[in-house]
Amino acid sequence: MKLLIHDLPKEEFTRLFPNITKDILVISNNAPIQNCIGCFGCWIKTPGSCVLRDEYGNIGKLLSKCNEMHIISECFYGGFSDFTKNVLDRGISFIHPYFVIRKGKMHHKLRYKDRIKLKAWFYGSDITSEEKETATKLINANAINFNALEHSVSFYNSIEDMGGESI
Amino acid sequence: MRIAFINGSPKVKDSVSGELLKILKSLLTDKNAEVDTYELYKPQINENVKEELYRYDALVFAFPLYVDGIPSNLLYCLKSLQEFFCSKGPQNIKVYGVINCGFFEGSQNEVAIEILRNWSTKSGLSWGQGIGVGGGGMLISIKNIPLGHGPKKNLGNALHKLVKNILDYKSDNDIFVTPNFPRFLYILGGNKGWRDQIKANGLKVKDLFRQL
Repeated sequence: MKLLIHDLPKEEFTRLFPNITKDILVISNNAPIQNCIGCFGCWIKTPGSCVLRDEYGNIGKLLSKCNEMHIISECFYGGFSDFTKNVLDRGISFIHPYFVIRKGKMHHKLRYKDRIKLKAWFYGSDITSEEKETATKLINANAINFNALEHSVSFYNSIEDMGGESI
Repeated sequence: MRIAFINGSPKVKDSVSGELLKILKSLLTDKNAEVDTYELYKPQINENVKEELYRYDALVFAFPLYVDGIPSNLLYCLKSLQEFFCSKGPQNIKVYGVINCGFFEGSQNEVAIEILRNWSTKSGLSWGQGIGVGGGGMLISIKNIPLGHGPKKNLGNALHKLVKNILDYKSDNDIFVTPNFPRFLYILGGNKGWRDQIKANGLKVKDLFRQL
């Protein structure tokens, strides 16, 4: 299974990716989403799922069923867009609160045994070279924190350029 | 000089970002420095606040590191602010950032500092300096230890430099702060903290490992 998080309008997404198969779980901006409030409830109150009640409380669980996470996001200042980042913030139940040392620095232990592959697609007509550099560092950091098996990052000047790419 | 402190933590109370801003405020004793504080813990920012923030000499953001970046509540606000600032035109405002993480190493805030710096460039403002604070998880519990002493020695050095730069309207290299405290003890204490908290919620330690 693959988890695809994207921030594209529904019509654009359907037009650009008409052949989404059943093995791809799609998280879209199609319902009201609350922001993470930093309560750590997903670790110490309802371990594995977010305490906030909306349609985005099970991101960690969904990710645990997948071996790949694809993120399609407008590039905001070298990072994810507001919606995409909101989904990721709400998904930290995927990892475990305990601390471990990984690549010489402190990180979180994994909650689940299987490791994922991470692929980020950033789009935007005015992504600067500095922002590309930052986004590349961001995906490297995310990959270490998720202990990803492998990761990649791509940039597109327009969402049209993503059409035809395989997920 | 007019300075805006902007707390970007989504936590309404007891945030480490709030504690860091409190410390910074205590250091900004210059009689010419006028400091106002804003709380952006919701993912919306009203028009009055945007107008007000355009009138300061310096914006000092403090926020926690979430998934290697800026927490989404603040990111929604920054996007809205950037669009507003761009519509008004470039302004001589310096942007400073104090970003804290629960990890020991302050350097893990580097990417979030870069994102804030890229935001300031895109908003027509100028970048001042970023301070990446590690060991944020224990800052509330040691708030009675004076700044510059014990585990807060490095933090004291960094925040004093930041305050001087803000008052001098100066840009400087980013500084990354690790606590003056053994990392293995910080990790042991952190892991014990999670066990204590889950038990306080009526669950068992093994529930920390629950898989769905």
